[in-house]
Order: sequence, then C-alpha cells, then structure tokens
Amino acid sequence: MSSQLMAAGWQAERRRAFLLGLAPSLLVLAVITLVPAVALLVASLTPLSLTDPLATFRFDDPLVNYRHLLEDKRFIDSVGTQLELSVSSVTLQVALGLGIALLLHGPSRLLAATRAAFLIPMVLPPIVVALIWKILYTPDISPLHRAAEALGVPFSSLIANPDTALWAISVADTWQWFPFTMLMVLAALQMVPQSPIEAARLDGANRWQVFRFIVLPHLRPVLVVCALFRLIDSFKAFPLIYVLTNGGPGTVTEVTNYYGFVQAFNFSYWGYASAIAMVILAGVFALAALVGRLGWNHHHDPQR
Amino acid sequence: MTHSANPTYDELERAQALAWSPLTGALPAAGAADPVAPAQPWRFARRHARAAAALVLLLVLMFPFLWLVQLALRPENDVFSDELLFTPTLASFAGLLQGNFARSFGNSLLVSTLSTALSLAIGVPAAYALARWNFKARSQVALWILVTRMAPPIAFTIPFFLAYRWLGLQDTVIGLAIVYLTFNLAIVIWLMQTFFEAVPPAMEEAAYIDGCGVWQAFWRVTLPLAAPGLAATAVLCFVFSWNDFFYALILTRTEAITAPVAIVNFLQYEGWEWSRIAAAGTLVMAPVVVFTLVVRKWLVQGLTAGGLKD
Repeated sequence: MSSQLMAAGWQAERRRAFLLGLAPSLLVLAVITLVPAVALLVASLTPLSLTDPLATFRFDDPLVNYRHLLEDKRFIDSVGTQLELSVSSVTLQVALGLGIALLLHGPSRLLAATRAAFLIPMVLPPIVVALIWKILYTPDISPLHRAAEALGVPFSSLIANPDTALWAISVADTWQWFPFTMLMVLAALQMVPQSPIEAARLDGANRWQVFRFIVLPHLRPVLVVCALFRLIDSFKAFPLIYVLTNGGPGTVTEVTNYYGFVQAFNFSYWGYASAIAMVILAGVFALAALVGRLGWNHHHDPQR
Repeated sequence: MTHSANPTYDELERAQALAWSPLTGALPAAGAADPVAPAQPWRFARRHARAAAALVLLLVLMFPFLWLVQLALRPENDVFSDELLFTPTLASFAGLLQGNFARSFGNSLLVSTLSTALSLAIGVPAAYALARWNFKARSQVALWILVTRMAPPIAFTIPFFLAYRWLGLQDTVIGLAIVYLTFNLAIVIWLMQTFFEAVPPAMEEAAYIDGCGVWQAFWRVTLPLAAPGLAATAVLCFVFSWNDFFYALILTRTEAITAPVAIVNFLQYEGWEWSRIAAAGTLVMAPVVVFTLVVRKWLVQGLTAGGLKD
C-alpha cells in the first residue's frame, strides 16, 4: 500500500519536474522562432525600409509587397534559377551519393575507414567549401585551369561565363552534399533483408538484377526522403553563391534566397524582402508537408 | 524487472551500448561478414579492386580540399608556380596570428562555446522531460523542431536584424550566440531525447526509492549514463555554430566578427593573397575536421537529424 502511495507521489513529482524542465525551452523557442515568424509576416505587410522607418505599422495597403512580387521580373527569374540550381544539384548529389554508398557497402576494413573520409565535404564550414571552389574556379591559381593550359585546351573562367556559372555552382554544391545521401543509403543498405537476395542468387540472378529488383526497391523511400531533405536545404544555399559569383554574372545565379538577401541587406527594403522570405517559407513548408505525407519521422517507441 | 539501487557495471555498460546504438548502428561495423558474397577464388581480388576504386575516388573527390591545404603551406611567392614539390612553411599562419584574424578566430571560439553552453543548459532538461513524459503534444513538439531546422535563415535574419538594431545587440557576441539557439536548441532536444530514451527508467526509480528527487536522480544516474551522447551533442552544436556564415555576416560588423566572415573580408578587401587566404581557410576548418574524426560515430545521427527514421 505504502509503495503504491509512494509511486503516486513519484508520478506527481515527476510531472511537476518535467513541466519545469520543459518550460524554459518552450519559452525560449517561442521567443526566438515564433515571435520572429510573426514579425516577418507583419513586416511583409508593410512598406518598411531604411528610408521609411515609420512605415513599421502602416498597413494601409497590406498586400502591396506581394502584388509587387508578381510584377517583379527579377524575382520571377530568381525562382526559375532556384529551381534550376536545386533540381540539378539534388539530382547529381543523390546519384553520386548512391553510387559511392554502393561502392563502400562491404565488409572490408579499408572501405570502413574511407567512409569517414568521404564525409569531410559535408562537415566543412560552408565558407571553406566556397573558398575551395573559388580557388578551383579562379584561372590564376586553379590547378584545373593550369592542367588544361598544359594540355593545350585552355578555357575561360567558368564562374564568369553566364552559360556555365550556374552549373559551376551546382557542381560545388553537389561536392558539398553528396555525403548526406551516401550516409543515408549506407544506413538503409544495412536494413535490406538478405534472404531474398540469396534466393535470387540461387535462381541465377546477376548482380545488376539483384540491385535493380531487390535492393533498389528497398532504397527508393530513402532516396525520395534524401532528395526532399536536400531540396528543402538547397533553398538556403548562400555562401557558395556569395563567394563564387555574388549572384552574377548579371543575375544568372541569383536564386530567390539571394535576391531576398540583396533586397533586405543591400537595398534595405525590409518589408519587400520579408515578403520574399515568406514565399520561400511557404515553399519549404509545402515540401516539408510532402515529407510528412510520406510517413517519415513518426516517432516509434517500442517501450510505450 | 528489478534493478538494484546500485546498478552493476554490466547494466551500466548495457545502457551505454543502448544509448549509442542508434549511432553506432547507422554505419556498418568494420569487418562484419557479408553473407551475400559468394566464396569464389577471385573474391579476394575483387574485394581489393573495390577498395582500390574507393581509394582512387576518395583521392579525386578530396583533391579540391587537399589543394587548399597545400596552398596554405606554400611560401607566398611560390603560389603561382606549377612545382608540386616545395618546402612547406608556416609563414602564412604566423602572419595571420599577428593580424586581426586572430581576434575573429577568438570571437568564433567564444560565440560557439557560449551558444553550445546555453543550448545544453536549456535544452537538456527539456529533452529529458520529453523522453520520460508520455504526453500528448510530443509529436507536435517534434514537428516544431523539424520546422525550425528547415526554415531558411533569411526568414529569421530579417526580424533579428531589425530587433537587434533596436535592442543594441547588433555586432555583439551574446547576440550572435542567441541567434544560434534557433538551430542548436532544436538539435539538443532532438538528439538528447534519443539518448535519454536508451537509459532504463527503472534506475531512476531505484534512485528515487533511495531518496533522490527527480532532478537529483537525473543528475546522478541518467546524465552520467548519457554522457557520451551529451558530448557528441555538444560537439555538434559547437560545429554548427562554428560553421555559420549567414547570420554572422549580417549581424556583425567589426567588433564581433567571426572567422568565416573574416575570410570573406580577406577575399574582398585585402586583394588576392592566396596563401594567407588558404591558411585562414585551413585554420577555420581544422577544429571541424578534428572533431569529425574524434566523434565520427556519433556524428552520423546529428548530420542526418530528422532524416533517419528512429
């Protein structure tokens, strides 16, 4: 009896304690994420800018920024550039990551050791990644340009050429992020059941058939989630563009995120930039909802 | 299931293994046998062909990275030469220590440490509560955390920029550390929750019977068992703060400038002193690469946070 009472006291005390432990985090999260989100929405409804600081609370034409967005050719182009960059780099990095994961999935100790080294591009500070590619793309100093020159096929700077600049960034972004897909696929390969593979082998299936009809169907959901996660993150790509091309030449590499940055911190049109950020947020949430629809991140807990 | 008040070493070890399992399990164990591989005489050769292919690929993919490092070690007047052999020198690094770069490096250290400490202090109790308390809003909290991870920084930067102008927090280390909470706090809550779930609650109950309060039991029993996870989480927070460029670029000017922003200033204002720029880049990535090698087992989950089903 007394132990039951004690258990009840324990439960009540635990609940109180947990509430106390949770409260600071929820409070801080609300202040640093919810409040800015609301502030962003409010700012996007005003013509707030550096030259017009009194406009903070002027709501006489709340949709002016959004209407302006639809007429702003530079914004519409930036969305196209964003899609081009995101789709090309995500496709490349998922393919490369899958290939390397398949190569590295094996029992050898050497393969296990190289797995960690392949992670390096993903953990490097993004600014260092940008610096590394700035060096590769700058003719004076680049080993690529020098090698091409020695072979008699010199080419001009890829980032200064409007036809290749976006691809140059896409390649750098692929280099930075293929390890993400590689990691996820390596983890998924661990969970591929072995018995159908053995059965297929006994029936005379070759390696390609085993991969195509048994392994790949198991990997497909992971690949889709990788692609969606990377697509969402690719909207944030900033240091590469900032350091390599600064949005140029002209505006050929100016993605939406970068255009928002230019509007907010070069021109100080904060209200208009907030509207751009709201559009990006909406895109991110639409993709995140898609991730949710695919049933990812449901918390499984066998103990409960 | 009964647990003694003094958990045996075996139990502790099992709890720790459990605490690490989501991470250690994510990468294939070295030397694990591959049940599919046929036992053919040329299997040995093929396996080594594969390792050789992996090594070649690694060299090709790491070439840009290695090029930066060698550039940093070259003498300044040798940067444009084609010679692959040169006498490495630390002159570029020494030059950096005398300039303003040392200060921005210190700012980076300070801001990353501060933000890590803050997010652990606030986030760890919350993660523990979420792990132990079976309440309705759990999945909403998880979703919230996922959303903050996904939101583009520009959405936070504009409000923070405007608020900091008003609050006088612009260009301060503390202001930047607070901004980093927007991503670090979510990481702490997300990761520590899985580590705490792996510690059996029965041990805390035993501690309670022995007269411990809830947080005392947490402090004396649960937290020590989750210490490796705590260390890994701290490292990840540090690395994420250290790697930030966007927030630092916008919210600092001169006083609180961090090392990544200092590198860009080199590129923009100090001409093309490549060996110095490369040395600065090498210095900035050095702590991250070292940490990666030290905690690579635990890194996996942090890097794929929200991506891997758990």
